[in-house]
Order: sequence, then structure tokens, then C-alpha cells
Amino acid sequence: MKRILAILLVLAMALSVAACQEKPVTGENQDPAASQQPEDVANAAQQIIEGKEFERVYKTYFTSSYASFNYYSTAYATVREIIANCIDGLVEPNTYGVYVPSLAESWKSNEDQTVWTFKIREGLKWVDHTGAETEYEVTAQDFVDGIRYIGDPLNGAYSLRVIRNLISGLYDYYWTLDDIDSGTITDQKREDVVASFDEMVGVKAVDEYTVEYTLENSAPYFLSLIESSMLMLPVEYDYAVALGDDFAVDNEHMLYCGAYYVSAFERDKAITLTANPNYWDKENITIDTIEYQMIPDGTTSLEMFKRGEIDYASVEAEAYLSLQGTEWEDNLLPTSHSFSTNYLWLDFAGENPEFNKFINNENFRKALMYSLNRESLASLREPVDPSRILRNTINAEGAIYDSNGVDYTDYSPLKEIKETDYNQPELAKQYMEAAIKELCDENGNIIGCEAGTVDYLPVCSFDVDGKLPVTICYVGTDDESEIIMAQLFKAMIEESIGAEYIDFQIQAYSGWTYGTVADPLNYDIYFDSLSTGYADPSGILTRMTTDGAENVGKYDVPEYDALIEKALNAATFEERLQYFAEAEAYLCSNGFVIPFISSLRGYYMSYSVPYTSPLTLYGNTKYKGTLVMSEPLTKAEFETLDAAYEIERAEALSAK
Amino acid sequence: MGKYILKRTLNSLITVVIVFVSVFMLLRLMPLSGYFPQEMLKETDEATRMSYLRNQGLLDHPVVQLGRFVANLFQGDLGRSLTVYPKVPISTLLAEKIPITAAFGFSSMLLGIVLGLSLGLLMVRFKDRWGDRLGTGYILIVRAIPNLIYLFFIQVWVSLWLDLPMVFDKDIPSSWILPVICLALGSIAWYALWLRRFMVDEENRDYVKFALVKGLPKKQVWKRHVFKNAIIPLVIYLPSDLLFIISGSLVIESLYSIPGTGGLLTTAIKSQDNNLVQVIVLMYAILSVIGVFLGDLLVAAVDPRIKLTEEA
Repeated sequence: MKRILAILLVLAMALSVAACQEKPVTGENQDPAASQQPEDVANAAQQIIEGKEFERVYKTYFTSSYASFNYYSTAYATVREIIANCIDGLVEPNTYGVYVPSLAESWKSNEDQTVWTFKIREGLKWVDHTGAETEYEVTAQDFVDGIRYIGDPLNGAYSLRVIRNLISGLYDYYWTLDDIDSGTITDQKREDVVASFDEMVGVKAVDEYTVEYTLENSAPYFLSLIESSMLMLPVEYDYAVALGDDFAVDNEHMLYCGAYYVSAFERDKAITLTANPNYWDKENITIDTIEYQMIPDGTTSLEMFKRGEIDYASVEAEAYLSLQGTEWEDNLLPTSHSFSTNYLWLDFAGENPEFNKFINNENFRKALMYSLNRESLASLREPVDPSRILRNTINAEGAIYDSNGVDYTDYSPLKEIKETDYNQPELAKQYMEAAIKELCDENGNIIGCEAGTVDYLPVCSFDVDGKLPVTICYVGTDDESEIIMAQLFKAMIEESIGAEYIDFQIQAYSGWTYGTVADPLNYDIYFDSLSTGYADPSGILTRMTTDGAENVGKYDVPEYDALIEKALNAATFEERLQYFAEAEAYLCSNGFVIPFISSLRGYYMSYSVPYTSPLTLYGNTKYKGTLVMSEPLTKAEFETLDAAYEIERAEALSAK
Repeated sequence: MGKYILKRTLNSLITVVIVFVSVFMLLRLMPLSGYFPQEMLKETDEATRMSYLRNQGLLDHPVVQLGRFVANLFQGDLGRSLTVYPKVPISTLLAEKIPITAAFGFSSMLLGIVLGLSLGLLMVRFKDRWGDRLGTGYILIVRAIPNLIYLFFIQVWVSLWLDLPMVFDKDIPSSWILPVICLALGSIAWYALWLRRFMVDEENRDYVKFALVKGLPKKQVWKRHVFKNAIIPLVIYLPSDLLFIISGSLVIESLYSIPGTGGLLTTAIKSQDNNLVQVIVLMYAILSVIGVFLGDLLVAAVDPRIKLTEEA
């Protein structure tokens, strides 16, 4: 009873807050940039940072442990931030997200963008965990060896699929070695195949400082892949091979070529990054030391920020509301973007005969689509302006552009989906009634559906009678915020479609893992997320084909598969995006997946000046260039800086 | 006595082997998908996953895997973590984490014993008066209120009032104070509760009444008889605290960001880190049997009525 009351209170609070946040209409509340000249905005922004002393130490935190620093084999996203600051790639984004030289001084590609050549800086040395230069120089061979390392199955590279399929010959090299290891191939020796790497795989050191990648397909997005994938980073091969399994298990067993090196590492407790004295771009390092400590609890990190013990704190929706009216209200800043999308996964091949009949019906899926009030769902995460995290598409807006600067989500028919308001309970009911006409007899019996017991163990087990209402088993974790979201789903769906037609059951399963719930299809509906990893829709969409790894619910969509095939074989990038947009629209408009909000979570407080770091859209935060103030940034300062930045970025992008 | 120790050691050894082999084999019944975190499952295809498992030796017959583990164990190699801390040697992990948890465990155990027994004595001394009520109130609060509430209160507010760090930092001695107190809160209540109960029981026994009637001073009866007899049932549990000392507290280590062993076994089981689970289970099983064994020896040492030999 208390839980239901709490849920209702949170829901009521979220809805009322959302309702109160109409766009400001009075002149005094308008965007500061709207009424000012660009020069005024730039001057105002300049005044905020002009003449100020900036801190040289930045204190921040991480919430879950750093399992290992091995940037090739570690699945955990947390390691990415450390690596992003310690190992440089060939290129990096500047503060506007435009790619600029990093370890590569220059680059070029052939006309169809299947061959990319990078000229590496000369005379750069790898450093160790004390910052001392080692005997090893950063050369083109280190990038070749990076691919050599991940191409060997024994090294267990993580998330290899995209790179393996893209770099010419890597797929065959990897699987030949694997077949030898498994005994499938017996007439070839492992060492012979390893020795043939340079001939077999499309990456080579043209000379000491020139590396060339030959790709299977045209990849206009290749630079964004370099930003996002740790597999494209260099390695000193002899050093890594000599260490074997010990490579990068801690800070002392790896080498660094980035802006920082890990000078201290206490597992599950603290990490210290120190500025690399031999860095190629050391003039642009503005923080000497970055101190991380592990703080798993959000309340603790918030309290420590208030006491000045750390320089950054994430603020979730509940905490945001509790800070309203306090001295910290003026320091709450909105998080900028998330390319990760939350969506509902539907089980097309599960054991629940009632749901199974209905989910394979297009009208029923549309009934589900139109029954969700996405704004209410969004207000659980973003109580102030829930509309900014609504998302109807799988790939995020602002993540992918064609060569003319057109956003991928503005390609038709994806654009129409992006702009559709799916909160239409009347339409949802109509679709449900149409589905019932097709699937049930006049007595409410589901045609061809037998009564029985559904075995979703270890999650749950329940009886179905083969009649309306359709029993739906929603499986989530026992996390309080997830339970609230599940209750919202239930309320919306049952209210829109009608409780006489739908019996939405929630299973809050404490042992929720992908292996216990999703993979064995022990659910009817659950929610998950997908992220646009680089500037091409293929990153997600090729995984969602009928036999794709991301097709957890086991749908069968030959029309979608055909469009993906066409996209992959398209002659131009624009044509490719068009086919991908049609494919994505097909999945979304037919309700095979139901995206509803982005994964963006609320607000933050910080001492750092926004937009002074590289704009890493696909990679992780880089601290090179970040300015740290001695006082927390205020909302007014943020808005001024934001307005100036938007003008500057637009200019930078148009000049690209 | 020597024969008894030998027999108990042999029994303990058999117990450890049974526990270890059972857990080892049960772990091999877990689904193969459990070896991969969610993001990895979604990112990799079936063939790549099988390749990874084969290269890790996880597709070998369980008996072969057991043989390999035992052979490595005898060479002092505990193996490497599979999923929680990929490729990190388990001996390194335990060497990093156990000393920290043990230091907190010992400190809190000592604090728990000293304050718990003192509170218990206070409650008996002032039975049904202010001291007893104070102690009962404390015990009630600690045992009845969900610990997260008061632990969180202590971390946020007490740290503010006393100007103490909110999280542990090995270089700041004062950062030990709150976690040690939090860890000891439960055992203080436990020792106080049971000492009071056992002492009240002893006080009502005939031999105590007889001693008092004979004119022995109350203080002497208390010290030599009541307290000594009441403490015996508590002593038996002391060695079994060994396991608590090593295994740590998930909640408190998480709250104060202590990089110890708290929650390590749970995390390893959830992540299906077979190598880590089997080493921790082996370690805990050995500590448990040692703890029980030592408890028996200790109680025999402090209570002359108890003999562990055959003739007893």
C-alpha cells in the first residue's frame, strides 16, 4: 500500500512539475541569446572566464569499479573515460565536435572512402606510470599492431564485430585463427597465419609514420569510429605480448601516449591522472592532476560536492526536486545530450500463448505504441522539461549527419515518426479493438490459444486462460525507479487500451540479468537501451536484423532485412542513410520496437567551465583544455556560455 | 586431546572438500550466457562468445577444469578473475582487499566487545533502572530500525557535526572512525543483549543465591561467578567472527567507499566469475571450520565442565 502511495505521489509530482514547465513567454524569461547580438553574447561569455584564476586540480568520482585498463578486452564502459584521457587516437574532436589532428598530423581518404591514410606525428614516446619516457616510440606500426592484437581470438577483444567486418581481411584472419584453435582447421599452422597478417589484413604501415587502413566498404563515418572505438587505439605490441595476461591489469602494466598517465591506482577506490610532461599538446593541458575516487552512492557524491570535496556531482530527478529552494538551486545545470535510447522490447517467441498471439498482430503492436504517454514517462527522469528527452526513433537526433549537414532523423519517413505524438489513447483503443476482431471470437476466446501455465522461471510462472484480457508479463528489476516506471506503463496501457482487454502484470525480479531474463525469453515486455555509437546508423540497425544479435525478442522482419542490405550496398552515403531511415522507420512504425525516451538523466553541478573540453559525441569525456573554476558554475553563467557556444559552434560547423 | 584435534581436522578437511567440489560443480551448471555482461552479450555474436569460452577453458569437462584448478592451487596459483576484474590475478585481488576489510573487522570487533560487554554490565548493574532502559533503547533502535536509515544518518549528519570525512581515505586516520563505529553498532547490541540475559539467568541460579546468603560480597560473586559463567556462551562465537572479519560488510564498505571484500562473493556469483567464486568459497569454508573448531577449543579452555576428549 505504501509503495503504491509512493508511486502515485511521485507520479503526481512528476506530472505537475511537467505541467508547470510551459515554455516561458515573457520577455524577461527569454533566452539571453535571442535578444542580443552575437558579439554581446560572446562578450558576456568572455567576461565569465576573463581574468579568473583556474584550479589545476580536478576532483571527481566514479560509481562502479574499474575492472581493468585493458582497452581492447574490457567490456566495462567505465574504463573508457580513463583511456580517453591516457591513450590518444589518430584524431579527436575539438570543442565544436569537428575532427582535428591528434596522434595523426593529417589524413586523407580515397574518393569512395574505402582507404584512409594517416600521417603520424614524429618523435613521440610512450611513457610509463611515472610519466618517464620509455624506449618505445609511437609509430604507424603501433596502430597496425593494435589491429593485430584484437585480431587474435586469444586476446579476447571486446565489441570487435564492427571493426572486424569493416577492416579488409580482418574477418577471415580472426576466424581462421579461431578455427585453428578449435581444431576445425588442421592443415594450417597458427604461426603461419599470424605471420601472414600483413598480407591478409587491410592495415599497414606504409612507412614509419604513415598508417593506411583499407576497408571492406565505404565508411564516411570512419573518423567517428576512431573516436568511439577503443579498438582503434595504438599499442606497443612487444610490450603487450611480453606481459601477456598482465597487460593493463593495473596502471603499472601499461604505457601511455595521451594527455595524462595513471600515476596512482587503488582498485575500487581511487585513481589519479597526472599530466603527461612529454605530451605533444601539453600547452593545452589546463589541469595538472585529476583525482578520481569511487563513490557508489549518489547522495554521498552530492553531499561531498556541497562540502567542496569534489568538483562535479550528477543530480538525479529526485535530488533535483530536493534542491529546489535551497542555496544550490542556482547551480543546477542541465545535462546536454545522450545518444542512448530507452525502448520497449517485445517477446515474439515466448511461452505466453496469449501474448504470443497478440504481439504478432500489427494492430496490437500499434495499440501499445499509441497508449504510451511519453512525456509522463520522461518526467520521471527530467522533471523540469520532460519534452527534451522524448525520443520516437532508435538512433538519436543530432548524432548522424550526411555530407550536406542534414540530420539523419530528418530523412523521410523517419522524420514523420520523430514528429508524431504517440500519446493517442483513442487510437490505441481502436487498434486494440481491430486486433481483437482479428484474433478473438465473440465470447472473448483467443482463437487457437489454449489455457495453460506459462513457465518464465526463475523469473515467474503464471496461468493463462486463453481468453481476454490478454495477460502481459512485464519483467523489470526491483529498483525503485524502475518499479515506478513499470507502474506507469501499466497505468497507461490499461487505461488507454482498457483493463478489460489487457492484464498488465509486473514482475520486479531482483535477479534481473540479460542471461536470466532477456536471452532465455523469460518475459513478454522489458525495457532496455541502445546507443548510437558512431556517426552511422549501421552501428545499431545492422544488429537488429532478423538474425542480428540485438533481436532479443526474435521477431521476423524480412522487409527490414532487405532495406538494411540495400543500405549496406548503397552507392552514396546519402543513399545509405535513406535506406537506413526507411528500415528504422519500418521497425518503429510497425511496433517491432517501441522507443520512448532518451537515456539522458537530469542535471549536474560542477566547477568546470562548459564547452572548454573537446565535444566527444561518441567517445568519453576528455579533460584536455577543461577550465576549473574556484566556485561552482551558476545557471546564469551556464546559460550565457551556452548561448555563446551555440553561435560559435554553428559558425565552426558551417566553416567545416 | 591430540587425537580429538586430529579427528576434527580430518572431518573439517572432508567438509571443506565436499563444500568446494559441490560449489565448483554447481557453477558449471550455470548458463553460458552468464559469463558475459549484458553489454558484451549484445555486442558479440554466438561464435565469438564460444571462441572466448573455449579459450578460457570453460568448455572443458568440469572434472578437467577441477583437476586444472587443483593442480594450479598446489603450485600456489589461484587463477585469474574471469568477469568481475578480467585477467587480474585472484591472489593480487585478495592481497589488496583482505587487509583492508580485516583491519576494519578487527577494529569493529574489539569495539563491539568492549562497548557491548560494558553496556551489558551496565544494564545488569542498573536492571530495570535508567542504565537498563538506556541499553534496551539502544538495542531496540539498532535491531528494529532498518540499518540503512541510521547508517545513512551517521554518514551524512554525524560526519557534518563532527567534521569527519564522509568516505574512507587510507591517508586520513579520522576517516576510519565512522565506518568502524557503524560496523560495531550491531555487535555492541548483540553482546549487550546476550550478556545481560545470561547474567540475569545466572543471578537467579541457586548457587548465586547460596553464595550471597553465605555472605560473600556481591561484587565478588558477580566477578568470579556470574560474569564468568555468563561470558562462556558468548566466547564460543568469537572465533567464528573470523569469517565476518574477512568477508566484510557490503553496505558499509559501499557507503564509505572502502575497497574491501564486502560484497565480493555476491558480485562474483552474480557475474558468474567461477574462478573468483571458487577461491572465495574455499577460503570461507576453511575459515568457517577453523572458526567452529577454535570456538570449541576456546569454550573447553574457559569452561572446566567441558571436555573434548573421548573419556569426557
